[in-house]
Amino acid sequence: MLSIRNLSAAIGTTHILNGVDLQINAGEVHAIMGPNGAGKSTLGQVLAGREGYTVTGEVTYDGANLLALTPEARAAAGLFLAFQYPVEIPGVGNMYFLRTAVNAVRLARGLPEYGAIDFLALAKEQMARLDMDPALLSRSVNAGFSGGEKKRNEILQMSMIEPRFAILDETDSGLDIDALRVVAKGVQALRSPDRAMLIITHYPRLLEYVVPDQVHVLSGGRIIRSGDSDLARELETDGYGPTFAGHARAPSASAPLNAVTTP
Amino acid sequence: MITTSPLLERLVPDDTALLGERSSAPGAEAWLETIGLPTARDEAWKYTPIDKILAATFDPVSKPTPDAVDLAMLNELAGDHRGPRLVFINGFFAPELSRNAMVNAGVNCCNEAALTIKPSGPYVATAADRTRFDGFQALNQIAGRDGAVVLVDRDTHVREPIHVVYLSVPGARPAATHPRTLLRAATSSEVTLIETYAGFDGPGLTNAATTIVVEPGAVVTHYKVQAEGAGATHLAHTNIRQACGSSVRSCSFMLGAGIARNAVDVVLGGNDATVELDGLYLPNVTQRHDNVITVEHAASACTSRQQFKGVIDDHARGSFSGRIIVQPGTTATDAAQTSRSLLLKPTAEADTRPWLEIFAEDVKCTHGAAVGRLDSEALFYLRTRGISEHDARTLLIQAFIAGMTEAVQPMMLRSHLDAAIATKRSSGTPPLSTEGSA
Repeated sequence: MLSIRNLSAAIGTTHILNGVDLQINAGEVHAIMGPNGAGKSTLGQVLAGREGYTVTGEVTYDGANLLALTPEARAAAGLFLAFQYPVEIPGVGNMYFLRTAVNAVRLARGLPEYGAIDFLALAKEQMARLDMDPALLSRSVNAGFSGGEKKRNEILQMSMIEPRFAILDETDSGLDIDALRVVAKGVQALRSPDRAMLIITHYPRLLEYVVPDQVHVLSGGRIIRSGDSDLARELETDGYGPTFAGHARAPSASAPLNAVTTP
Repeated sequence: MITTSPLLERLVPDDTALLGERSSAPGAEAWLETIGLPTARDEAWKYTPIDKILAATFDPVSKPTPDAVDLAMLNELAGDHRGPRLVFINGFFAPELSRNAMVNAGVNCCNEAALTIKPSGPYVATAADRTRFDGFQALNQIAGRDGAVVLVDRDTHVREPIHVVYLSVPGARPAATHPRTLLRAATSSEVTLIETYAGFDGPGLTNAATTIVVEPGAVVTHYKVQAEGAGATHLAHTNIRQACGSSVRSCSFMLGAGIARNAVDVVLGGNDATVELDGLYLPNVTQRHDNVITVEHAASACTSRQQFKGVIDDHARGSFSGRIIVQPGTTATDAAQTSRSLLLKPTAEADTRPWLEIFAEDVKCTHGAAVGRLDSEALFYLRTRGISEHDARTLLIQAFIAGMTEAVQPMMLRSHLDAAIATKRSSGTPPLSTEGSA
């Protein structure tokens, strides 16, 4: 479904991604873990179409060149990024924003648009599942929302837009254990054989609820290690270790990876 | 200084019969002869291309044919806000398009020429009692023909908004009109006045003067909508004089004209008076929209608020000059001013100039100005949700200006404004006729 080959990204002369290779098939959930500054969020942003990066390499999504598409065309094609820091937009009503977004994507997929009343009912139903205060619909987008409310609002958008490929960028950070369960339930509900997900996370906590098919460790802008869900537990026990930290500092260094593949 | 005689010859109609019985310009002519029209060096005219305005030649206006504007056109250009409506075309009262039968008792609402009893008291600002008088206001008094007069009696609450419409129907050559509006709200009265300046495209000058006299405890809501044709030059002065305990909210919406300057001059002359001035200006293409605001705290315990927002596109320029004067001997003044502008293109330009003159000590005075571009983070966020770049920009611009129209009452005016703003934003301003675009 999504195939990343030798993807690099830089801002000016600062190299952030240094040749990422990743293959994610339909029905799979992959997790990207790694220390701060490893390039995890950049990967999400570049896949979603953020401008300002110098990007090289290849990303094909359903056989098409993803990097050639505008952010809105990527969304229309089924890509969704849940932001690590959802943007506050004072003056734009959350309800209006949500309906505009959902209908724009539905229109692009040849589906009928939702009317205001149907949409409201649907939104309220989803919000109840996410244990969200319906009053958040009548506020401005994310404006004055607590950290947890912002993250839930991302999952609400995701549930309503129904993407085929979702990237969750540290959706679990800053959530207490109850909120984490609710968010995980929302993510889990979207899991299906024709969808795929990439979960970017700092901590393995979320991965106890949404068990990934594969876990990758990103360090120094490259994937230095991949494994199954056991890898996440292992990282929790042992941390990323000095070698990983070393990679973060010196991305071009060719450290012996096998030194840390087995404990 | 500009020698005014040739200009006067061009602007003042030779047909003195048209001037009627107006005797309200004491000293204006002498003032104009000695002091003249503003120049580019005049601080208050810093941002307005005065040389360009004065370089144009204007014919005296001719009375338009009765079928120049019909009711449907009028409603489309100016909106229909129900209630009484006084309509002027090229400065001439148009009774067939007007509607002043619905005014309740205690309100005198008519064109100035039809006024049988001249109101007593300070109902027209003159050169003598003003320090911020200028040549264009003098010119308005000398060359103006007719205008709207709204006199609200003591304790009278006028439920329906009173709508005054000045339409420009340009002829073959550029013409100048000098519309005048007077609103006097007597003690403890309450009234809403809507002024609309609109017209068909074509070159012309509108030199408007509005006087609002607010007596003790009166409450006035005032809207000024400027939606003139792209070839027009619009110069307007609104003078607001407030007595003790009075309250005024005045909102300006600038949409049209090639060059527009909106001056508002408030004197808080009695204790405990409150004024709120809001302004929204949306110049695009090569439009120039200037706001020149003065609020003078001449009495104690008065509150003033200024909130201006500009959205400036293409090669347009917008400016806000906000002057606050606090006179000596006053106490407990509370004055605030904010100016925010959004530049949509690198070629757009915004100027902001706060200008505070505080001669008293017991003063709370704040001012803030911000000039910025659309938030790129917010744009990206919206686009990742499938919203096109165009729609995302529109959403963010709407969000920026939303607060300005949300408070507008009556609802009919708000809808009309929202529609006019949306039309302007979606289509852009039609090319200026003076640019001779192919």
